[in-house]
Amino acid sequence: MFRRKNTVNLTESEVIQLAKKQQDYFGLLYDKYFELIFRFVFKRLGGNEDLAGDITQQTFMKAMANIEKYEDRGFPFSSWLYRIAQNEVMMYFREQKKHVTVEIEERSVLDLMEEANISTAMSQDEQEQLMAILNGMEQEHLDLIELRFFQTLSFKEIADIYSITEANAKMKIYRILEKLNKKWGESKKDK
Amino acid sequence: MRKFVVNRTNKKIEPSKEQINRHKDFARLHHDYERLTKRGKKPLYQDRKLWMLLFIIGLVLFLIFYEGL
Repeated sequence: MFRRKNTVNLTESEVIQLAKKQQDYFGLLYDKYFELIFRFVFKRLGGNEDLAGDITQQTFMKAMANIEKYEDRGFPFSSWLYRIAQNEVMMYFREQKKHVTVEIEERSVLDLMEEANISTAMSQDEQEQLMAILNGMEQEHLDLIELRFFQTLSFKEIADIYSITEANAKMKIYRILEKLNKKWGESKKDK
Repeated sequence: MRKFVVNRTNKKIEPSKEQINRHKDFARLHHDYERLTKRGKKPLYQDRKLWMLLFIIGLVLFLIFYEGL
């Protein structure tokens, strides 16, 4: 359909340079990263397929429109796409007047508790209390928790999305976990 | 804003290959992009050639009218 020549041996940065000049080449990047971004958005929306499809298309539309501004700063191209997708999802959440319910797997919650040094042996009611504490935390903190535990991204991937060092990403997440642990402890004392 | 709830059905929140392929369509993206970014036709009032033509017609009519006096 589109005019693409000898793209097999092209490196990713060469494809990006070509996509800056001719939009048809953006299709190569789309083909490579669509699944990754769709999975990311799908999980962030708790499995809402149609909405995930729309937001993923919107993400690539923005990426296509701004590819000229993209600069290779040593981070993978996927982190740039993740960042756009992250903003699109957040924009969607902000636009909703009511709360959007996002389902997360129980296994992910147990991983989070383990990492936050909270006993995993708790009743469903207690787990719901923990979720209530989590839902009351700052949105920026929730983003990091979500990326690490519900999206199961590595510290390196999170660091790339935020354009920070891996150590910095790790430190931020462990500080949030400490905060969560403290709030959990306080809620237990109150009872 | 979002609100997390625990999914206790033990069902993995992962899209299937079929779901992914259903939404993967670069031709549609390209078409939507073109539709959004391609500029429409120039409005008539911004067309310099049209203005020039109208001016010449006006000038000719004026000269005919002027000669007729």
